[in-house]
Amino acid sequence: MRTIIKCMLKTQYLIILTMCFAQSVFSQSSGQVSGTITSTNGEPIAFANVIVKGTSIGTSADFDGNYTIDAAPDAIIVFSYIGFKTQEIPVNNRTIINVTMEDDIAALDEVIVVGYGTQKKEDLTSAIAVVKSDQIAKRQTTTVAESLQGLATGVNVRGGGRPGSEAKIEIRGLKNLQSTNPLYVIDGVITTANRDFNPNDIETIQILKDAAAAAIYGSRAANGVVIITTKKGKAGPMKIEASTKMSTTTMPRYDLVSKDEFVRLNNMAYDNAGYTRQDLNLDVNTDWQDVAFRTGFIQDHNVSFSGGGENSSYFVSANYFGNRGTVISTDFERMSFRVNTSGTKGIFTIGENVALSNSKTDEMSGNPLIDVYRLLPTIPIYDNENPGGYGYGKADVANTFAANPLAIADLSDATNQNFRIRGNVFAEIKPFSFLKYRLNLGYETSFDNYKYLRKEGNWALNQAYQRSYTNQNRAQWQNKLIENTLTFNKEFGKHSINVVAGTTYQKETYEQINGTKYNLIVNPTTGEYFEVLNSGDSPQTGGYKNEAVLISYLGRLEYNYDDRYLFNAVIRRDGSSRFSESNKWGSFPSLSLGWRINKESFFNVEAISDLKLRASYGELGSGNIGYYEYQGFINSFGAAVFGVDQEAIASATQVQLANNNLRWEVLKQTNIGFDLGLLDNRLQITSDYFIAKTEDVLFGFPILMTTGNDGGNPISNAAVIENKGFEFNVSYNQVVNDDFSFNASINFTTLNNKLVELGNGLNESIQGNTITRQGESVGMWYVLQTDGLFQNQDEINNYTNSQGQVIMPNAKPGDIRYKDINDDGQITTEDRAIVGSPWPDFEMGLNAGVNYKNFDFSMNWISSHGATVYNGFRSTVDRFDDDSNYRAGVQPWTPENPNTNFPRAEKGYGMNARGDTDRWLEDGSFARLKYIGVGYTVPKSILEKIGFSSARISISAQNIITITNYGGLDPEFNNSNIFQRGVDSGSFPNLKTYSLGLNFGF
Amino acid sequence: MKHLKIILVSFSFLYLLSACNKDELDLASPNDLTTVQYWKTPSDAEKGVNSIYAMFYKDGLWARWIYFRLDLTSDEGFSQSPWTELADWTKFNYVNYDFWEGNSVTWRDTYKAAFRANQVLAYVPNIEFEDNVRKSQIIAEAKFLRALHYYYAAILWENVPLVLEPSSPEDLPAQNTQEEVFAQIESDLNDAFNDLPLEWDNFNIGRPTKGAVKAILAKMYMQEHRWQDAKLALEFLISGQGAIYSLVDNFEDNFTDNNENNSESVFEIQFGDQRLGGTGEGADAAVSSQRAQFFAPRNIGWSDGQARYWLVDAFKQEANMQGGIDERLKYSLFYADSNTDFGTLTYGRNWEWGAEETWFKKGSRSYYRTNEDYYSQVNWRLVRYADILLRYAEVLNELDMTADAYQYVDMVRARSNMAPLATAYPQIGNNHDQFLDRLKIERVLELCGESVRWEDLKRWGDLDTQASIDEIITRDPDFNNFVIGKNNRLPIPLSEVQNNPNLNQNPNY
Repeated sequence: MRTIIKCMLKTQYLIILTMCFAQSVFSQSSGQVSGTITSTNGEPIAFANVIVKGTSIGTSADFDGNYTIDAAPDAIIVFSYIGFKTQEIPVNNRTIINVTMEDDIAALDEVIVVGYGTQKKEDLTSAIAVVKSDQIAKRQTTTVAESLQGLATGVNVRGGGRPGSEAKIEIRGLKNLQSTNPLYVIDGVITTANRDFNPNDIETIQILKDAAAAAIYGSRAANGVVIITTKKGKAGPMKIEASTKMSTTTMPRYDLVSKDEFVRLNNMAYDNAGYTRQDLNLDVNTDWQDVAFRTGFIQDHNVSFSGGGENSSYFVSANYFGNRGTVISTDFERMSFRVNTSGTKGIFTIGENVALSNSKTDEMSGNPLIDVYRLLPTIPIYDNENPGGYGYGKADVANTFAANPLAIADLSDATNQNFRIRGNVFAEIKPFSFLKYRLNLGYETSFDNYKYLRKEGNWALNQAYQRSYTNQNRAQWQNKLIENTLTFNKEFGKHSINVVAGTTYQKETYEQINGTKYNLIVNPTTGEYFEVLNSGDSPQTGGYKNEAVLISYLGRLEYNYDDRYLFNAVIRRDGSSRFSESNKWGSFPSLSLGWRINKESFFNVEAISDLKLRASYGELGSGNIGYYEYQGFINSFGAAVFGVDQEAIASATQVQLANNNLRWEVLKQTNIGFDLGLLDNRLQITSDYFIAKTEDVLFGFPILMTTGNDGGNPISNAAVIENKGFEFNVSYNQVVNDDFSFNASINFTTLNNKLVELGNGLNESIQGNTITRQGESVGMWYVLQTDGLFQNQDEINNYTNSQGQVIMPNAKPGDIRYKDINDDGQITTEDRAIVGSPWPDFEMGLNAGVNYKNFDFSMNWISSHGATVYNGFRSTVDRFDDDSNYRAGVQPWTPENPNTNFPRAEKGYGMNARGDTDRWLEDGSFARLKYIGVGYTVPKSILEKIGFSSARISISAQNIITITNYGGLDPEFNNSNIFQRGVDSGSFPNLKTYSLGLNFGF
Repeated sequence: MKHLKIILVSFSFLYLLSACNKDELDLASPNDLTTVQYWKTPSDAEKGVNSIYAMFYKDGLWARWIYFRLDLTSDEGFSQSPWTELADWTKFNYVNYDFWEGNSVTWRDTYKAAFRANQVLAYVPNIEFEDNVRKSQIIAEAKFLRALHYYYAAILWENVPLVLEPSSPEDLPAQNTQEEVFAQIESDLNDAFNDLPLEWDNFNIGRPTKGAVKAILAKMYMQEHRWQDAKLALEFLISGQGAIYSLVDNFEDNFTDNNENNSESVFEIQFGDQRLGGTGEGADAAVSSQRAQFFAPRNIGWSDGQARYWLVDAFKQEANMQGGIDERLKYSLFYADSNTDFGTLTYGRNWEWGAEETWFKKGSRSYYRTNEDYYSQVNWRLVRYADILLRYAEVLNELDMTADAYQYVDMVRARSNMAPLATAYPQIGNNHDQFLDRLKIERVLELCGESVRWEDLKRWGDLDTQASIDEIITRDPDFNNFVIGKNNRLPIPLSEVQNNPNLNQNPNY
């Protein structure tokens, strides 16, 4: 706080200083120009922007398209409006200039927010993708990330249907090993666009993909930057927009055997093992999927008020989002409220954006997505003999440790609530037309409230007795941002220069207190537990606080010669509290170039309306590590018992090791690409190739256990990772006539991930069934290889290594034959080999839309090709050594049924059930209709009668068609473990969603 | 004028650039002491040495999994756990050498203990104490505990690296042979012996004594067949300066929380139920034993480990002096006829399990509860005087002093009302081999389920010939999988071998 005040004081000083010079800036022009602005079909364009080029003089047209502006006789007036091509018209001594603006189908003049400034799309020299609000608004999503799926090249999104879950987003591959989340910048505040953020407020999203684009954001931008601009009011009378969307959601289901078939197979497994059959309860037939799953319901209601005058604007919105989950006892609710305003007077502009939100989640207990297939159909839902009264496994009757989803939902309940304030205030001074100073103060805080209640009772076989308890925490997260930037922008003939320089200061703080109490009292009136931290015994408390500070200096130079040659350079110097004294600071430069060939005089190809070549190189520092990673700490939680009285006496020691020499991780990215517009930009092609190499990757690879380290692997600058990729986007737009237009686009992304080097003296890192080895992609499948089944004893006896040693002497006919890769005559983990990659060869997105009269239709397909994935469902239900429910249609090998690839079923026999084999790997390719929808816009003639300005009704569906050979619940799953990205073990699937939407404007 | 404005604005901006104080970047954690701040005071040393004791409560060691290695791998126990891999690791079916619960966690926790001891040994000598006796005791405690953990590491894996200095993340320690490990243990224990007291005051019971040092030394010498050295070490407890021990009258007092740290206890792991956290390093980390929860019969505990039925038969081979069943059976095992034989129920229940099934009872809380949980407070008698006496008899027999050995076996037998050995088995006489064979049974009757069987089998060479393996197979068919020269020791966790060029996998793995 001390520093913030100091920074603010200095800022005030600057503001006052600048104000002294402000007076003289007015009244430099002479002469007045007026006119009417219309579109090609003669309709006036209300509120179109009119600016005298090279000055700060500007106005906007009135409701009827009329404008008046002060302009010198030799001035050039720039007319612009969203959706129309910008025009520059010299005054040439005229006093009346009427303008007809052409529709801008290609939207090449689009203004792109690039961080601490904007650029025209045609001037971009780096890889930036843009996603518009109308594309986002169509889908029913909880978070921004989900909305981006399939809409931009190089952006991989994996979501899931759990209420309140946040999708995983990965821009241009896995570039570091800490987190793949990009940096989110919402209205200039560096933050995260988590579930507390209302996507309805989005105006545009820009995704900065290459290092040159992201460089201005320095550290934390290495995963790319998602810049979100929220809606602003536009000049004119107040507009009221209301929208409501209601959706039903359904779970995909596992295809499991009938009860009778279950009994037959289970008995077979016991018989084959020579065990006594289980005493299955044949009177019961429980469908656990019916118990755990239900139809979900999502409602999303939004209302906004916006408008403004010549020098001010406002936007106010309110939103309610409710998601009743498809799994019992899961819910998510969000209420949010936003006010964005800004005003200009003379050289001053001030504004603010602030959003309040309150979100509450009833978290999923346990993982019913796994339990529903581990539970046997012969287990009853309720069983009064069990503590708590719920049915679950029982020794020799139903041998499973799976949790009853109804029981765990009741007995183990967690809720999470966050109240968040996020916003910024900015002030701009433009003492000269070419110079702008901006002060941006951002602040974000959330008050988090977590509550867990454990009631007495059991949900699974062999649970140790657990007293009732409640564990709760209260926390506050704060993020303070102070930014000073100075922008210089001037044209000198054919030279155009834009310079940005600035400082930023960011401090984040998280503080938590928590408490636990046991043996809670039950209220005799309601039968419910007293769940505040009042009753109960054995109190425990805890708490901690984390802080981090980042100080940065940034500078950017944009140079444009004659709109032909574009040059862009950025330097950023970052200091982070997360690194040790000698390594806190790092400097990271980037450079990018563009050449607009179509502007060259020698270039004269009629069909090509736009052609630009781009190249960039940039370095980005990244410090995505914990708060105090470079320091070793003393853990003082322990105790040891001594003495006649057997007292627990305090102990304290270092438990986790630390690396004192942590330094910045550096991403070095090269990008080359081109933009091509054909047929008056109706056909547009953008393509990029990039090489992103991350050096000194910060990660805690497992270190030797002989170090005695525990509590997490110490972070080190451990590895070098390289991602190479190719991105291609082609889109076509055509307006056939007033009634009919259509558009289509296809995007294509390939990515090749490679671990170049693993530090710490390690050659490889094995995690679960994956290996991360030098020269290979991260997380390759590393398992035993199966080689069919033994059909008879001869085959077993003849299965020998080169020395003639029988490799699997204990096998029986019907067992799996494993390959003895190291030829040592036995099957051990040393026979594992790399057999596949969890990375797709390529991914595609297809978007198409048609407008016909008042109807609009659009759809979005996504597809992923060539990834090998691990089917966790099958690895559980097909194992037979341990009891579970079984997959419909399985035919285990028997002497009578030898023509099968499904091994012999034997209870307690692990060799056929091993998890570390290629038996469970499958082709994870899929294509999915992510979204399809049709809308009807009510004609104005009808609306006018009822006083509405616009009305639209739409119906849509998500995830309704999936083409895949994958046998799990959903090929589009998400595993947050970086090394096990291809493991689908109880991942929450995407839901089939049917939505009805209504939008009204007044 | 215009230029002046530009200059002034630029100047102001430059002023802003230096605005925020760079010292802000030096953030210390408000949560914990750093390692640099610690190890400065006698209190730091006390807490530091206590943290080595806290390692007993970790699941890789004496809270849970080490019993699977010592009791279940031996022919006394086995596993019918539905967790196939867990059961496989009690029957020499080692496929994944990185199996956490079966191998890696015990390895890791052993080195965690070593790291803690090494911190004390490296930093405490530099701390200024007013009470230098206490200072040297703390160092001696750390040496004892380091030796103790390396002793069990040597029993399990044999060729383990000796880490003797505080660790750094990039360490790649060199492998040592079992002989080298034993030599280090001997050196540490001899150092510890000098500075540890014979007995502790009431507040410090549970820390090692001179007797405990000699006991572990004796165990180690015996594994090396250094019988003369072992004899001297044991004599310290039996007839020497440290002869303060005696057998308790009630055999059961060795296995409950009713008479802990009694006259028979040579070294006892102190458990408690004050703290109900996990076995990790979190707040309220538990100080309890989970053995009983894992070894109790089905529907009471998890029954991941149970005893072989030949143990019940062994107890019934010889009647006590009143013609009744050896009462040690009553306190050693849960079995079908315990109600008929002794009128004891199993956790308050009648027998509801297989007639030929039996479970380990020592350390259980059936004597006052109907269930178990993760928080058993019952201390674990790692070395008790009865073990010392039987070891002394074994050592004497090995030194051709068989006749002298009888009296020590008889002391143990007499406590349980069993006739003197020479009376019960007159044919043995001074025959070394017959005496040893009988002693093997005596050790089972007295010590079964007390985690000594695996080192006994190794010491006796019973794991070295196919003939003796075949004999063990009759008691425990899991030994069908036993490969001589291979399964005598565990495989070293694969990830350790692969990532440490200085470490080789154990032979034949």
